[in-house]
Amino acid sequence: MIKYEIKHTTTYEYGDNVSQCHNLVYLLPRDTRHQRCINMTVSVNPMPVHSQRREDYFGNQTFYFSVEKPHRSLTVISRSKVEVEEVRPTLNLDFGVTCEQALKLMADDRSEATLLAREFILNSPMVAANEALHEYATPFFAADKPLLSSVRELTTQIYKDFTYDPEFTSVATPLSEVLEHRRGVCQDFAHLAIGCLRSMGFPARYVSGYIETLPAPGQEKLVGSDATHAWVAVYSPGEGWFEFDPTNDKLAEEQHITTAWGRDYSDVSPLKGVIFGGGDQQSLSVAVDVNRITL
Amino acid sequence: MQTPINSKLGPLSYSTHSEGFDEVFAEDGAIREHWQYLFDSLNQLGIEAIDERHSKAQRILRDDGATYNVYQEAIAKSRAWFLDPVPHVIKSEDWGDIESGILERSELMNLLLQDIYGAREIIKYNLVPPELIFSHKGFLRPCHNVKLPGEHQLILHAVDMIRDEDGEMCAISDRTQAPSGAGYALENRTVMSRIFPSLFRDSHVHRLALFFRSLRSKLSELSPGVSVPRIVVLTPGAYNETYFEHAYLANYLGFTLVQGGDLTVRDGFVWMKSLEGLRKVDVILRRVDDMYCDPVELRGDSHLGVPGLLEVVRAGRVVVANPLGSGVLENPAILKYLTEIGRFFLGREPRLKSVDTFWCADPKDFDHVIDNFDDMVIKPTFRKPGTFSILVSDLDDKQKNKLKKSIKDAPHLYVAQGYMKPSQTPAWIDQGLVSRPAILRSFSVAAESSYSVMPGGLTRIGGDADTTILTNQRGSESKDTWVIASEPEKQISLRSEAASTVKEVSEHSTDLPSRVVENLFWMGRYAERAESALRLLRSVFVRLNGFEYLSEAATQTLLRSVTHLTNTYPGFTVENSDLFKSPEAELVSVVLDEQRIGGVTSSLLAMLTSAEEVKELLSADTQRVINDIGDELETLKSVFKKQLASAPEEALDPLVTALLALSGLCQESMIRGMGWRFMEIGRRFERALQTISLLRATMVPVLNETDEMILLESVLFSVEALITYRRRYRTDMNVASAIDLVMLDETNPRSLIYQLTRLEEHLSVLPKVETMQRLSEKEKLVLEAKTSLQLSDLQRFTQTESDAGIRENLDQALVRIQRLLIEGAGKVSEKYFDHADGPQLLVKSGWEL
Repeated sequence: MIKYEIKHTTTYEYGDNVSQCHNLVYLLPRDTRHQRCINMTVSVNPMPVHSQRREDYFGNQTFYFSVEKPHRSLTVISRSKVEVEEVRPTLNLDFGVTCEQALKLMADDRSEATLLAREFILNSPMVAANEALHEYATPFFAADKPLLSSVRELTTQIYKDFTYDPEFTSVATPLSEVLEHRRGVCQDFAHLAIGCLRSMGFPARYVSGYIETLPAPGQEKLVGSDATHAWVAVYSPGEGWFEFDPTNDKLAEEQHITTAWGRDYSDVSPLKGVIFGGGDQQSLSVAVDVNRITL
Repeated sequence: MQTPINSKLGPLSYSTHSEGFDEVFAEDGAIREHWQYLFDSLNQLGIEAIDERHSKAQRILRDDGATYNVYQEAIAKSRAWFLDPVPHVIKSEDWGDIESGILERSELMNLLLQDIYGAREIIKYNLVPPELIFSHKGFLRPCHNVKLPGEHQLILHAVDMIRDEDGEMCAISDRTQAPSGAGYALENRTVMSRIFPSLFRDSHVHRLALFFRSLRSKLSELSPGVSVPRIVVLTPGAYNETYFEHAYLANYLGFTLVQGGDLTVRDGFVWMKSLEGLRKVDVILRRVDDMYCDPVELRGDSHLGVPGLLEVVRAGRVVVANPLGSGVLENPAILKYLTEIGRFFLGREPRLKSVDTFWCADPKDFDHVIDNFDDMVIKPTFRKPGTFSILVSDLDDKQKNKLKKSIKDAPHLYVAQGYMKPSQTPAWIDQGLVSRPAILRSFSVAAESSYSVMPGGLTRIGGDADTTILTNQRGSESKDTWVIASEPEKQISLRSEAASTVKEVSEHSTDLPSRVVENLFWMGRYAERAESALRLLRSVFVRLNGFEYLSEAATQTLLRSVTHLTNTYPGFTVENSDLFKSPEAELVSVVLDEQRIGGVTSSLLAMLTSAEEVKELLSADTQRVINDIGDELETLKSVFKKQLASAPEEALDPLVTALLALSGLCQESMIRGMGWRFMEIGRRFERALQTISLLRATMVPVLNETDEMILLESVLFSVEALITYRRRYRTDMNVASAIDLVMLDETNPRSLIYQLTRLEEHLSVLPKVETMQRLSEKEKLVLEAKTSLQLSDLQRFTQTESDAGIRENLDQALVRIQRLLIEGAGKVSEKYFDHADGPQLLVKSGWEL
């Protein structure tokens, strides 16, 4: 087991007083097949009058709070400790269900897991299947090829074709623009992979979380230099869900720490809500630290 | 086929339609027994009497403000609610079957709703394709595991039904979101019992009151704990198509009508912003679609909801009925699987059958639909404004292909139902009985361990015998539905009810949301503003068209006063000799142009809009006067547009009269509550300010004596003081006595001092927060204005000291009072009206949930 300590700080500064706010955050790691959250806390400044932690529809951890005194800035700090499985059964992508079999099973298999996975083939608020995505993905999904190795190739191709460019996109950039300009960030690449998979008829979901980054040799790691991350999971009938990271051209493994999953970003955005007042101007800053610890 | 319905009794005949089940005639051509009494009675009444009662019905509906607004039309164009005077009759025995079918269906829908937001066994056990739920927009994931207390999740349910060709009732759709129509059914019943009192009494019709009593006690029961629940009806506002019903039901049930902005979430509870501060809300009967109810967790772009509502619901601290998420049951594709779902949850097939339904996402169904396209009614799986049911055979080839393509592109968004010819029922059209297709919407409400079904419901009929699809959005008439009992029923009405819940609920009924109070305030102000503009215009027209010679200076001053009073600058304040030579166009524009803020039409429209917002507080008489004002405005437009009438002042008279009727009614018929006070405060502020503008425009400039006399006469005429003046002074006009009468005379209800005295009274009884001070700031301002007026020296006012040609002292005094009053009105608004910044999303999203 590898143990991580994560600190995620979000700060909003407003141009004018906010008289009250209601917010919903997805900043606490959930339990998964490969990870367990040991403890977690969220602290909010100014002090909320109401707050509540609970599990959402997808089984994610959410935290709801409302602040009711006037404020110009809002800080949310989440801290958690997570254990992640270090050694996983080696995944041999060259065996297993073929694309053709997977499609057939998706239609015919009556197991609960497969029936529920069908939710993730459908369009979602930010990701809709379409011709262009279908065209981009088709070469990788030959009928007799194993599904998982096809997905791996797809994500490798995305990694090769697309440039990581934080300046280019925002949370609201549509997928079509990402595809056209071949630029984006992890969130866009995850959405792209999801769109490709759904266009081919496979269930795919969005996974948000963190990735451990290591400093260059001989240098010290900078505080707050880590970032939130996003990748994609695909469902193979009879085999379960498997995670791929198109941004880094790899499988999600022990350096990936999952916060939440959903149909796309809109289901699990880290912090959303409504404010009263606040003027037209607001600025957001985020700092993330992911560190290995020994307990 | 023309069939005399009873040649012995009277002249009526009824032409039936050959297709569909006939409600009146059995197959052998005989009248079904349960229609006989009605037909005999109608025959006895005769054509003219029926016609007359029909008109009376429409008149009552109009006076009650009964409308059904059509999307994208302005309030002024809201459509009157049409009621056919012939009831739809169902016999008790038939109804028994229908009722138990509806009851069972409601129970089934309740279990289904519970499952969809809980265990989702219908998916796990493969009863329905997962996409049926997962792809529907009404499936709101944030509502997962959110439960109402008690065994009911579905509180209100409505079913649309038509009779098939064998006469069997068949459900074609369900309404589970915020079902509309129950209030219209009640209004129809009220009107019918008024226009046919004896017929109604003798027909032993099942009453509706029990249904509404069940609704009220169910909502009270749902309240999370406190002994006297505060229940509100949440409406999207006056622009919603069924706003009339929201206001009507709120009134009937004794609940407060609120909009999203009237509510706020604080400290983990929902509160109503009222005059006296925040009041905790326990139960919300919602008429806002669920996904618009909370921008935090549901649709972020909604302004109709209450931010944070869902979290309060989740904590069980407020109850919303129907629960958020219940719209998922409106998916008509569910009907395809309802038999199976019934077997699963109830262990039997549902008794009330549903129309054959095909879901285009199912490949077999898709093929069937395309192969039999012309026989199908196509419906969207998710209802939203602008989407309708379409009978394919009504389309031309081009439209058919377009529809086919839409279905192919997104098959899961469409269902098809085999077209059923509705049954035919008699309607009163062009002085005779003719047959029309009928659809019945019935309502059920959760009660004890089951449901209580409204006997009858809302019947709608098509515009002609061949109308295929009946919806209110596309215009159809309604009917009262009479379930005829074999013996008379005991009379039950909400009002005579002895149960203590009535008293308890009404304890809160004096609560008014701040928004309502604000609208009453503005209603008063706009009514007054329009009236004073009309009065002045009337006297200006009289003067311009009069036989007395009017000097240029007097004409200009008079015309300028119109611009000053109505704030329609630049108007007559520019130096333009042409304008003064033929001022008619500008005057007409001040009257008719909607865009000229301060003009007559603009003020009246603003007044009507405010009135619409507080509809539920207006009496039937007031509603009638409001209607009259709207009508007179239309009339005026047509009169003025043709040409400036020969005596334009007379064309303005009816509007002045209608406005007077309004203010008279408010004086005589409104309960002296806070609502009335605020309307009065609005009126008094406005009248005072208007009087000041008028005096500044007419009495401050110094003219020669003759001109001044003429001006004075016009001013006194416009403030209704001319006769008093003549009786009292009996002399020639003079400025000093005119000023005395218009400004300082306590006995003149249009004088400035009178307005200030009334304001003082009203302001002193408003709820106070500043307990430390004896007088609030606004009271001080009004007191200061009044004192300065009382201490003023009349003689000084008439003097003019410089060569500027104005009475400076008068002007300064007026300006001072004006400033104090504007500030005072501002304080009232600041203190009692809601000025919270509107909510905004923390992160603006570009996607639609």
